[in-house]
Amino acid sequence: MITVNGIRNAFWCAIAFGIVACASTPVPVEKLAIAKGSIERAEQAQAAQFAQIELNSARNKYAAAQAAADRRDAQVAARLADQADVDAQLAESTSRAKQQEQLVTEMDASLRDLRNDALRRDGTAQPVPQQP
Amino acid sequence: MKRKYVKLSLIAVVIASVLSGLAACETTTPDASTLLAQARSAITQAEADPNVAKYAPTELDRARKLLINAEDSARQKDGHETASHYAYLTMQMARIAQQRAQEQVAIKHIKSGETERQKILLTARESEADQAAAGLENLKASQTSRGIVLTLDDVSFDKGKAQLKPGAGRSIDQITAFLNENPERRVQVEAFTDSQGANDFNIELSQSRADAVAMAIIRSGINAERVRAVGYGEGFKDGSRQMDRRLEVIVSNGDAAIPGHTAGAL
Repeated sequence: MITVNGIRNAFWCAIAFGIVACASTPVPVEKLAIAKGSIERAEQAQAAQFAQIELNSARNKYAAAQAAADRRDAQVAARLADQADVDAQLAESTSRAKQQEQLVTEMDASLRDLRNDALRRDGTAQPVPQQP
Repeated sequence: MKRKYVKLSLIAVVIASVLSGLAACETTTPDASTLLAQARSAITQAEADPNVAKYAPTELDRARKLLINAEDSARQKDGHETASHYAYLTMQMARIAQQRAQEQVAIKHIKSGETERQKILLTARESEADQAAAGLENLKASQTSRGIVLTLDDVSFDKGKAQLKPGAGRSIDQITAFLNENPERRVQVEAFTDSQGANDFNIELSQSRADAVAMAIIRSGINAERVRAVGYGEGFKDGSRQMDRRLEVIVSNGDAAIPGHTAGAL
């Protein structure tokens, strides 16, 4: 995962390096804004804690996209922004899924306790009027 | 795995050098077909999970469309770089679909777990109530949605009077003992009259009688805040005149408030 990302980053850096000359289309302001919004949503969903790798990938690509945009390298900026966007969406959904799964584990544990309590009570079920 | 890494690194180095060397806008990227294969398998994997189609159809659809874009680009001359880009987006979107589905499955699981929890708690409360009622076995007790209803047969009053007659002590003692054992519970004394006499008078009479029983309970050491008294007059008939004229004590379920008496809601 990391290695593939690393290679991909190297790859995009290389492209960014290589295509400085051919910037002709306008800078993709909208795509950058969309990616930024997705990163913020991922952060709000606590992706920094639950989907760190995906969130970091999104942040790095967003920074690279901005750098490309600063160089007026529209195509690279657009692609990096799109990738930052999906990386951020993956970070958000992964984080949410993990948190819900944590809740499932807690719920299952509390259900187990409750069932055990019920069994224990039924096992000793007898009218004990003096019990406080 | 390691060999794959080395191979990919080599490819990356080649791409990097080719790209910087040519400084061209469109270049072919040798790993486009690898990425395309990965994208296809990511979609196959997502499709294999029925929950994805159920809970994240939009994302799955988006991933499929991105794959079509990737394949179209791959067929075009000089489209390999674009194909790689779309293949990557496809892969990520397929993963997003899976994560979203996983989240929904978890949420559903939690919801059904919550229902299950309520059921267990309710059963526990009922068996607790049964045990509590067992402590009142000498009184006519029945579990209702309002709580445990005790009918006090041995509490009687002279006609038109609200003075407790001696002999009522035994069931009141029992209620007091029960309240001491169950400090979280409350009681509501409810008195009813038969239909003889004026309604206003009957309501007042039944209230006085309920008050008398409540006072007896409080005098024997129960905090007044746990005892309420309501006179219903000749409302809520039971049938026979004997049964219309009756005294009931409602014991709360745990520390829950006792809902008011409504016809047919026993």
